[in-house]
This record gives sequence, C-alpha cells and structure tokens, in this order.
Amino acid sequence: MSNHLLELKNVTKIFKIGGTFSKNSIKALDSISFDMPLDKPLIMGLVGESGSGKTTLARMILGLSEPTSGEIRYKDMNISYWLKKKRLEYYKEVQPIFQDPYSIYNPFYKIDRNLMLVVKKFRLLPDMKQAYEFISKSLEDIGLRPRDVLGRYPHQLSGGERQRIMLARILLVKPKLIVADEPISMIDVSLKAMFLNYLISFKEKYGISCFFITHDLNTASYVADKILVLCHGRLVEKGPTKDLIENPLHPYTKLLMNSILIPNPNVERKKEIDLTSLESFKKIKAGKGCVFSARCPYATDRCKNSSPELLNVGSERMVACFLYFS
Amino acid sequence: MLEVKDLRIYYKSTFGDYKSVDGVTFVYRNGIFGIAGESGCGKSTLVEGILRLTKPPGYIPTGEVLFHGIDLLKIPEEELRKIRWRKIAYVPQGAMNSLNPVIRIEEQMMDVALDHNNSLNKSELKDLISLLLKRVGLPTEVAKMYPHELSGGMKQRVIIAMALILKPELIVADEPTTGLDVVVQKGIIQLLKKLNKEYNTAIIFVSHDMAAHAHLSDRIAIMYAGKIVEIGDTIDIFEKPLHPYTKGLISAIPQIGKKVVKSIPGLAPSPLNWPSGCRFHPRCPYAMTLCRDVDPPLEEIRPGRYVACHLYSEES
Amino acid sequence: MLVKLRGKSLSVKELEKISLILKSYKLKIGLGILLSLIIISFLEPIITRCVLGDMDPLAPGTFEKFLSPSMEHLLGTDHYGRDYFILVLMGLKNSLLVGFLGALLSTLIATLVAFSSGYKGGLFDTIMNSVTNSMLILPTWVILASIVLYVRGIDIFAVSLLVALFIWPGSARSLRAQVLSLKNKPYVDLAIVSGESDIEIIFKELLPNLTPFIMFRFSSLIIGAIFFEVSLRVIGIGASEYISLGLLINWFLTRGAIGAGYYHIVFPPIVLLILIFSSINLINAGLDEIFNPRLKKVTGE
Repeated sequence: MSNHLLELKNVTKIFKIGGTFSKNSIKALDSISFDMPLDKPLIMGLVGESGSGKTTLARMILGLSEPTSGEIRYKDMNISYWLKKKRLEYYKEVQPIFQDPYSIYNPFYKIDRNLMLVVKKFRLLPDMKQAYEFISKSLEDIGLRPRDVLGRYPHQLSGGERQRIMLARILLVKPKLIVADEPISMIDVSLKAMFLNYLISFKEKYGISCFFITHDLNTASYVADKILVLCHGRLVEKGPTKDLIENPLHPYTKLLMNSILIPNPNVERKKEIDLTSLESFKKIKAGKGCVFSARCPYATDRCKNSSPELLNVGSERMVACFLYFS
Repeated sequence: MLEVKDLRIYYKSTFGDYKSVDGVTFVYRNGIFGIAGESGCGKSTLVEGILRLTKPPGYIPTGEVLFHGIDLLKIPEEELRKIRWRKIAYVPQGAMNSLNPVIRIEEQMMDVALDHNNSLNKSELKDLISLLLKRVGLPTEVAKMYPHELSGGMKQRVIIAMALILKPELIVADEPTTGLDVVVQKGIIQLLKKLNKEYNTAIIFVSHDMAAHAHLSDRIAIMYAGKIVEIGDTIDIFEKPLHPYTKGLISAIPQIGKKVVKSIPGLAPSPLNWPSGCRFHPRCPYAMTLCRDVDPPLEEIRPGRYVACHLYSEES
Repeated sequence: MLVKLRGKSLSVKELEKISLILKSYKLKIGLGILLSLIIISFLEPIITRCVLGDMDPLAPGTFEKFLSPSMEHLLGTDHYGRDYFILVLMGLKNSLLVGFLGALLSTLIATLVAFSSGYKGGLFDTIMNSVTNSMLILPTWVILASIVLYVRGIDIFAVSLLVALFIWPGSARSLRAQVLSLKNKPYVDLAIVSGESDIEIIFKELLPNLTPFIMFRFSSLIIGAIFFEVSLRVIGIGASEYISLGLLINWFLTRGAIGAGYYHIVFPPIVLLILIFSSINLINAGLDEIFNPRLKKVTGE
C-alpha cells in the first residue's frame, strides 16, 4: 500500500490552439510531479503567476480535464479509474473552492440549493427531513447566521458571505482533500484572514488536507506547510514553508520574495526589481531552455539551451536550476 | 493643492438615497496621498466625485473640491475639460480593460493627447510616446502592438503612460494594482513611486491593499461607510493606529512571520441604511453607549493627525 | 445590499426588476395587442354562429359578391359572395395557430439539438453542427415549396410541422452558442463535483438560465413561421384546405379585389399581419429591457 493521498507523476498538459487542424500548441504544464501524504493532513501550497498553469492543474486534479500525458493517482489508483467507476466516491473525498465568489453560484437558484445538493447527492443524511437543521449547523460553524443567509439568492449576498458558504459546504461533505484555487483573492482584506484560519482549523480538527493555489507567496507562507513554486508550467522549487521562505534558492522564488509587499513602512527596501524583468517578448523555444531564462538575471547560455531538472538538494528541498548543479 | 470640504455624493433610488459618500473633508498638499478602505466604503465614488465624473442617478448635494483654490464642482464644463488630463489625470479601476482592442497602442495614446491638446505635432508626439513607454519600463515595440498582445501588467503600464502624456500635475489612480500578480504589483508601485520622487508628479492612490499603502503612500486617509475615520502619516498609522477600524485592518493582513491574523467581525453596512451614531459601532470592540447615539466628528488631535472616534475626543 | 419591504427582504436588483416589468410600456402594449388578437380568434366559432347561424362560411354564393361593408356584413363580401369578416377571423385564427405550433415545434427541435450538441461536444457536436449549418445554406424555402406543391391534402398541422422542420436551424445555432458560453461557468464545474449527471446539468443548471433566451427565440419563431406560411400561400402554393391570412392576400391579388379597388378586402389581412408582427416585436423589446438591465448600478460601487 502506498502512503500517498495524492500523487502526480510527470503530468503534462498540451493545448492545441487554432482549431482541429492547426499545428500550434501550448504546453501549459510540463512534467509536474509531487505527492501529498495519506497519513498526515497537510496544506500544500502552489505558488505561481497567472498563466503559469495553476488553474489547469487544479482542474485536472478535480477531474474536470485530463492530462495529455503522465498520471494522477488518488489513494494509489489512477484518477480516470475513480471517475469512471467510483465517481461519487471520488467527489466525496475531493472537493474544490474556486476563486470567484460571484460565478460559483447558479444565479437562478437560492444558495440553499448548493448545500442541499451535497446532502442529497452524497447521502449525508438517511433522509432529507433533518436537512435544514443540518445545513444550518454548518453555516453556524462558519460564523454565519442561517436566517441571514438561507433563502437568499447569490446576488443578495456579499462576496465574503458567498465564499464562506463554500466553506460551510466543505464542512458538510468533509472531504479528504480540498483543491482551493485562489480562494481569497477576491474577498476583502478583513475576511482573508478568517478564511485562512478556517482552512487551518479544518486540517487540525477534521484532518482535511488542502492543495492551496495562489499567486501570493505571502498568503502561502501563512497557511501552507509545504510550498511548490510553479513557473511557466514547470515546478522550479519545492520545500517546507519555513525553509523556503527563509532561504529561497531558485531565482524566480527570490523574485517572488522580493515582490511581496510588507505592510511595514519602516522596512528597508530590499533590492528593487527591474521593471523590464516583469515579462519578455523573447519566445522560449518549446522544450529548449529553462522556462525562466528570459527573465533571469543569472541566465547563462547553458540555461537558454537546456532545461534543468528538479533535483534534491537535501533536507526535503528540491530546485530546478543550474546554479545548484555541480 | 487639493482641498475637499464636506463632500457628499448620493445616489437616487426608489427606496431613498444611497449615501455613498457622506461628508468627506481632507487636505492634500504634496507627496503621495493614499485613500484606503474596503469595498463599499465609497472611495471610488469619492474620487469620481472629486473629478466631477459622477453620473446620474448619482448627484452631489453639497461640498467643495478646491484645486489650487478653484472649485472643480462649480466651474463651467469648458474650464473643467482644460483641467482634466492636462492638470489632473485619472486612471479608473479596470482601466486596462478599456483599451480599444482594434487600435494599436501608439495610436490610442496619440488620440488621447490630441483630444485634449491640439498644439502638438505628430512626430513630437511619437517621440514623447517612446519616452513615456520607456519610463514605465516597457520596450518601445509595444507602441506598434495591440492590447490583446500585452499582459495585464503591461496594459496597466500603458494606461499610466497615457495618463502622463500631457504632463499632469496630479494623477489619481483607483486600484491600479488590483487583479495583477504580485511581481507586477510591485512593479507598478515602484513605478508610481518613481514618478512622484523623480518627476514630481503628485499622486492620489486609492486601494484596499494596506501593504501597498505602506510602500507607496506618504499619508493615508482611511475610509469607512462613506466617511473618513482617520488621517495621518503612513508610518504613524502603521505604528500607532488610532481608530479601531484601522487597527482591525492592519491586524488582518497576513504577513510572513506573523503567527496570528485576525479579521474584523460583522458585515459591512449598507449605504441605504448607515448605522446610527458612529457607523463602526456594531463591529467595534471598544463601543460605548455614546457611540450608538453620536457620530464622532473627524478631529485633529495632533498636527496632521485626524481621527473620528469618541475614544480620543474625550481623552484630549 | 438588503432592503426590508413588507417584512420580506428583497435585494435592490429584484425590486428594480419588478418596477421595470410594471413600467414597461412596450411589454404592456405588445401583450395587449397580441392577447386581444388571440381572444378574438378563440371567439371566432361563436361569432360565426352568431352572424351566419348554420350556414357554411366557406360556401360560395351565399350572398352577392363584393358587397361593401354594412351592418350585416362588417367587411362586406368577397369574390365568391361570402361574408368577409368571418373569413378574416378564420384566417387570423389559422395563421396564429400555424405561428404558435410551428414556433413550438421548431423551438423544441432547436433546443434539443443545441443543448445536446453544445454540452456534449466532441464528434456528436461536430456532426450536428454540420447538419445545422448545411440546412442554413440550403434553399429551404424552395425545398419546402416543392414539397407542398406536390403533396395533396395537407392540413394545418402538417403545414406547421413542415414549417417547423425548416426554420429551426437558425435558432439552434444561436442557442448552441449560448450553451457553449455557459458550459464553462464555474457553477457548472461545481455541479459536476457535486455529483450531478450530464442530463441534470443540462436541465437544472443550463436550461433555467437560458429560458429568457429561448423565449426570445420562440417569439421570433412565431413571426418566422407565420411569414413562412404567408410567403408560400401568397404565391398560391399549397392547397386551400384552410384559410390563412396569406391565402386571403393571394385571393385579393388574383381574384380581382385589388384591381377593382375593393379596399375593404385588401386592408384587413395586411393590417392584421402588421399587428401580429408589431405586437410580438414590442413584447420582445420590452422583455429585452427587463432581462438586460442597462441601468447603471445605483450605488456606484
């Protein structure tokens, strides 16, 4: 028996663009491999900019799209097996939190439906008689008053309330793994903290692991136990949070660290980032060269021609950069 | 430079007036002035009103907006148009999405310039555009490109370059970093800072992101429920926040190394029905009976330090 | 943003919508005209009985031909000496019937095709899409005209069906586009991970949100069906099994009424067609105002 909750092996996703007959394609994800343990609940953070492929990855883990090559395994079984033969069981164990609290609800129905639906579909109760009390309790556990929220349509509630109802939904299902794609980027500052604290308490109280995707290293550092850094579809660094934050290895991770805005006006400004390093027009030939080489201050010819592998550099740290090769 | 006196902006509706901005007063002299607050507090409405861009059903019942002594709300359209873009440039929220998708960047920038000032000739303009694009850190090839070929961060910088084209005294930017990645956000903030320090462009920066204010703004005004509840120098606000709402905002920011992050309980109130007395009292951990009945005025408790809270008006 | 109104909490959006429905002149006028026309056509059998008693309204020679309007014959008589008012009422009734039936059937077909192919995608979608597009390019009018020309004894229901079979592709295409745009919305993803099946998603997630759109297509198809039938009848194609407004137009063109200047024969079918057309368009415009709120947000946030 393996001891992995979730395991990705060389997952690659290539999108064809321009219609069925075109030859153009984009490699959204390139050989992604990582795993999350079965025995210990963990919050795994994935940090990447928009366009890095993080949402594509989330959708694959949720079974909403398929990898072009590579394997995704949940509890040691291929995800396609789960989806074909044990679909409902899979979704009882793996649930999402999406980014935009405005479009995750069907505007036609009251929000109660969302909660009732999971109770019904996953047979959380022997019959629906107690359903109302059941979902009311989960709302109270999230700090919402049921009478303020039940019976309302999505547009009648604020973004923060809507996103919190997603948390209540998770509490009802109590999955083993939450796939959260930028869950707090569209809610107010004063609620972000509360949301993150709930995710942490879910892990501690109910043993629910979380795959937390964000573009903000700051947020990841608060909530995640381990961090993966995704750059243009490739994993470039991995490691325990504290370690990675205190000692970032990959130049991209360093750039992310430098970009964090610290809410302390007294802090001496770290090295300012070069505005032209924000993006580049030089196209990297697909397959050739490190994904970050066009923007990297340390790039050498070797970096432009071959792509470094993700290698172990000791104490659970992995990095894909020629700077660390002998 | 800019003085706002008791500005109110209401929206008419069948159920009464939405008092989005309900009596805002402040003075802005120089440096980068930040307006902070969460969604719904009225900060975007405020800057629209200052520039007299409020559209019906919004209306301005009272207030003065004095720009170098001239009341922007009362001068005729002609004069206002001369001031807009040439003296004051406005970068609204989501401006990067309103670039015309079928016209090249260079042309759009020229259009903006020619719309507001007919005295420049084309080749001079082209040189100016190249210069501005470089100043915002964009390669000059961008001029010949179309908006969809650019990323979000690049589009936003194009917008800032557009705002600079007529060398305005003041740029008002509403949430210029929202929706952009961290790295790009940092870049935009650095750019705005450079514009202020090196080129002397005054900036009013509106954002809900307190960390951005920490980096960029010299002075911050905190807005809640249509009113300003605190004003002060940035360092002061972060080291010794006075108003309970400000304290809540600052402790709600996740930060590396911070063990506990707290959020503000309760929900933001509605502009149709602001709470009685001090608008923050339903969510305030220090609320007293007085707070429910009397709305504390914004008072200067130290030179340059303003706060609207009964905790301080009684002490001093 | 919540407002308490009579104890029930309504949002601003809902209240604005209700006030719009009540205020929309276009909707009220359009509905008014259409409903009046429908009621009149329902009353046709009664009116016929009142005016003609047991006489067959279609029997030629009952009265003198081309009589002018009078108290006995409100619209005079036609080229066969039949009471024209009754004929017009029957024409109205049948045209409306063809319109509604044709629209109903074609909407059904279009919806089935659009939803199944739009949502399912893949090979099925490619095939259905090709079929739809081919039908749009083919000269369907000519094909239908040929069919009608050679078939004897088609009644009103057969005509409605035939018309429906030829006008569904346009609606199917735009409906499919709508389905495609909704298919990728996050709430559909959420429905998938909540365990909903494909059929459930089509009927419970997508259909309710597309109902306004389907309604628009339906009302446009009513006009489409009526005019399709008129276009056939005016030229004289199709057996005169039943009377429609198109047939009446054909008669006044070919049986002498227009040449002789008998305007009481010429105007009624034209006026009625214009009324049907305008009332449905008014309803569409009114509904459009409601479902596409162009009001700026009241709070300006």
